[in-house]
Amino acid sequence: MCPMKKLLTMGLAVCMVIFQTACSGSGTGENPGEEAANASVEGNGGKHLNFSCYNYSNSMDPVTNVNSSWCGVRYGVMECLFRFNENVEVETALCDSYETADFKTWILHIREGVRFSNGNMVTPAVVKESLDRLYQAEADKTGNSTPSQYVTFESIAADDQAGTVTLVCTNVTPNLPGILAYPWYAVVDTRVIDTQVVGTGPYYVTRLEENSTIDFAKNPYYWDGEVPYDTYRAYLTTDDQGTAKAMALQSGDVDLVENVVTASDLEAFRKDPAYYVSTTAGVRLGNTYFNYHGVLENEALRQAIQYAVDDETLCQVTVAGLYTAGCSVLPSSLPYGYEKLTDPFTFQVDKAKEVLDAAGIVDGDGDGYRELQGQPIDLNYLAYSSRNLTDFAQAVAISLEAIGIKCTVTVQDYDTALANQSNGNFDLITSNATVVPTGDPTGFLGNFYSGNSQAYGYYANAAYDAAYEELLGVTDRERQQELILLLQQILIDDAATLVHGYYNSTMVSAVDRVTGADIAPMDYYWITTNIAPAQ
Amino acid sequence: MGRSKAFIRKNRAFTVFLVLALGLVAVAIFAPLIAPKDPYAAILADAVQPPSGEHWFGTDKMGRDLFSRVIYGARTSLTASLLLVLVIMTLGTFLGLVAGYLGGFVDGVIMRISDMMLSFPGMVLALAVAGILGANMTNAVIALSLVSWTKYARLSRSLVLKMKSRDYMAAARLTGSKASHILWSYLLPNVLPTALITGATDIGSMMLEIAGLSFLGFGAQAPTAEWGLMLNEGRAYMTAAPWLMVFPGLAVFITVAVFNLLGDSLRDVLDPRS
Repeated sequence: MCPMKKLLTMGLAVCMVIFQTACSGSGTGENPGEEAANASVEGNGGKHLNFSCYNYSNSMDPVTNVNSSWCGVRYGVMECLFRFNENVEVETALCDSYETADFKTWILHIREGVRFSNGNMVTPAVVKESLDRLYQAEADKTGNSTPSQYVTFESIAADDQAGTVTLVCTNVTPNLPGILAYPWYAVVDTRVIDTQVVGTGPYYVTRLEENSTIDFAKNPYYWDGEVPYDTYRAYLTTDDQGTAKAMALQSGDVDLVENVVTASDLEAFRKDPAYYVSTTAGVRLGNTYFNYHGVLENEALRQAIQYAVDDETLCQVTVAGLYTAGCSVLPSSLPYGYEKLTDPFTFQVDKAKEVLDAAGIVDGDGDGYRELQGQPIDLNYLAYSSRNLTDFAQAVAISLEAIGIKCTVTVQDYDTALANQSNGNFDLITSNATVVPTGDPTGFLGNFYSGNSQAYGYYANAAYDAAYEELLGVTDRERQQELILLLQQILIDDAATLVHGYYNSTMVSAVDRVTGADIAPMDYYWITTNIAPAQ
Repeated sequence: MGRSKAFIRKNRAFTVFLVLALGLVAVAIFAPLIAPKDPYAAILADAVQPPSGEHWFGTDKMGRDLFSRVIYGARTSLTASLLLVLVIMTLGTFLGLVAGYLGGFVDGVIMRISDMMLSFPGMVLALAVAGILGANMTNAVIALSLVSWTKYARLSRSLVLKMKSRDYMAAARLTGSKASHILWSYLLPNVLPTALITGATDIGSMMLEIAGLSFLGFGAQAPTAEWGLMLNEGRAYMTAAPWLMVFPGLAVFITVAVFNLLGDSLRDVLDPRS
């Protein structure tokens, strides 16, 4: 090759490299050190993690909506004043101590020496501004997060000298630390919020390709111990079956995945010693609500449904252990006295038929299905595709068929199903919800309070209402527990809702590459400093 | 008898595919006699069992016998496909005949509607229509009918335009034949063989489109035994329980292949040029 040609070839190669670099995706770096971090993501020998997860949001700003706030905490970018441990007990985090005399005025001491990932200090003034911003966004509708759902404040005052923030709640709020652990209340650096969303978590965002990948780098200022990875990349999927995540882990493309929701994939990982499957009885309830403004107002019919459905088989076989069977609306893993509850409606098909026969709900026209007061029953069962709920609906319909109750399952998208639920256009509707989002079940139990305009299925019971009203005002822990237990038992006795079980969150990791990948019961924790490279 | 033998000898391929297609129709008709179990009878505890002597194709996620469901699936899929082809063939051919014969304003309106339909990708438009109407098998057939009739309309119109200038047409008009009589007695018989060949070839592709809609959740709904829906239900178990996809997939493959080949061989039989 002549020198001229060599020169031309080299020139072209350089041009190509420059062109390729210029054309590579436009990063939306959150921090100044973005370029350096990008280099390490490309592989400069630092400790790197590849993680695959469902893409719930492209934002991590707590004010945007629930999903964005959860993403910030899940990715290890955001932190709150408090946090939950693996026993769902609230612990201090950015606030290192607090005091309250009346559960209304709370003085929180902000941990000293904590910095945001951009190096700025976390001060009481910034904490106050972060909370003010959150509530302001709700008030002027620039954000969809609704922090006033859990607590509102008469005043928020910061004292940088004393290092404290004083919160005066509108009402007595015994669970304020739990509420402040919810991702909405994550502390952001308000000094730079117009351009970046910066938190105090162990990692910060260096590059974000919407709906594709997010690159993270170690927060050099992290306050709570060593950060194990120099960089990590989250591969985002929108495959709600989770098969793509499972396949990525099996092929070695990623080291860690959250919530494999396909029973067969999960079973395969459990059997393979190359993978570690961390499962925890989470705080999500999988259940079916009854509409009391329809045929399911009939108590015998509701009781028969409870008798006819074998939740143990549904949870263990139909959804292959992705749920743990139970009878109460509060998961058996939580400290709300599950073991003291009595379930009178354990699985007995004969008993179900007996109850129906005794109530006169019989097959009068010989078509194989029973009628209620001469009118054919065809239960309108709505379901949406989330965490195996359609499987539950189908299995329940099959179980009801066995006792002569006709049931038509309609699968709808989440928003349509919710709209139908709000309008009362259903007999049964599946649901999957976190019952203790702030470490306290009071809010969730309010769904059965008849005074709640958004009460599910129009359930009403005077004894339940009285106990719930008392729970709202009580600060004594023991009495709270008694009331919560009573409320659970009333719902069981009334056959108020068909409880399937409690969703088991999972995290699967390759054992030769990752250690400490345990899933937390609280659904909004994924990437923590416990997840580290395998030795 | 002698003529039949001669026909079979002359059209062996057609005869073979016709027998196979009739066999598939027989499977659909006699499904209750062929299927060993009730396709809707579920034993939840026996979910996702591999193929065995008890369950030849294994069981699905609700513990239903997959072989019985595949057999019954022929009923749903074949009925829907045949109905769909009948509807689009009748509607399209009729509109094409009318447009071609009357011409002018009527032709303009029918053909512009046809052009509008063709300007969208058929499946996307069908998804939109099925989405608006609601997800069920009837609406899936309606959605696909709305987007698939145009082919027949354009085909029959072009044939009519060719025939319109023929002497026998002029003679028919001269003797005072009514438009309806001309359409029914002169034009339709000439258009019908082409429409029938196209219809026979379309059965396979329409079956795929219906299965596609069901796979995407816009067609048959659980617990209906329908191949597209069964493929979708088996998708989550693709690696751990492949039989949930393999057997419904095979059923779709075999049926579509048989009807496509039948359509091709029917063309050979009816095409006067051959």
